[in-house]
Amino acid sequence: MTIPAISAVTSTVAPSSYLATTPTQSTSATDGAFASTLASAVDNVQGLQSNADSLAIKAVTGDLADVHQYTIAATEASVTLELAAAVRNKAVDAFSEIMRMQA
Amino acid sequence: MTTFGAIGIAGSGLNVYRHWLDAVSDNIANVNTVRSTDESAFQARYIVAEANGADNGGGVHVAGAAFGDAEGRLVYEPTNPLADTDGYVRYPDIDLSSQMTQLIMAQRGYQANAAVIDRAKDMYSTALTIGRN
Repeated sequence: MTIPAISAVTSTVAPSSYLATTPTQSTSATDGAFASTLASAVDNVQGLQSNADSLAIKAVTGDLADVHQYTIAATEASVTLELAAAVRNKAVDAFSEIMRMQA
Repeated sequence: MTTFGAIGIAGSGLNVYRHWLDAVSDNIANVNTVRSTDESAFQARYIVAEANGADNGGGVHVAGAAFGDAEGRLVYEPTNPLADTDGYVRYPDIDLSSQMTQLIMAQRGYQANAAVIDRAKDMYSTALTIGRN
């Protein structure tokens, strides 16, 4: 007996003006919001790094049209990595500060 | 505007100046390209830059290429194998000194945009040091 797959629910609700103006960040106060934000930031860094890597491969194989394409991508990747590391360090600092709280 | 707005805009400038450099290089390489008088001369290539609209995030892009005079210069060179019965050949109408000037302009423009990227990167790094003990 084959079980039919459940088709994706298509939303038929038209966005009202209220929904359109509601900021999407309103749900970020729930549990794990910071974790998911950090995870998406890491994904972003990974995407930039892999873009820089593929451009580096193009550079050494002679397929790179513009030299500055690679250097710009590498710069963006490194700055974004530093930004992600800074955000993580701030978060760890805050966590450590809370853990040091004594009654 | 994305996180790296300045870098993206300066990158578009680098792209345009790189194309300009290519065009100048092509013109200089063909400055002595001789053709017979029954065909058109080599036409100098000029890059047409166009500003991106504000909705595109600023910057610049290459809108296309304009081409120089197809008439060229008629030069009397009866010993040239391409010469016509009157002894004339067609040289491209390219002013080498103008091309050298454009070469320097393209180089300086490229350097300026690269400097903008460096400064922007420094500024982003400075922002990351805010609040660091």
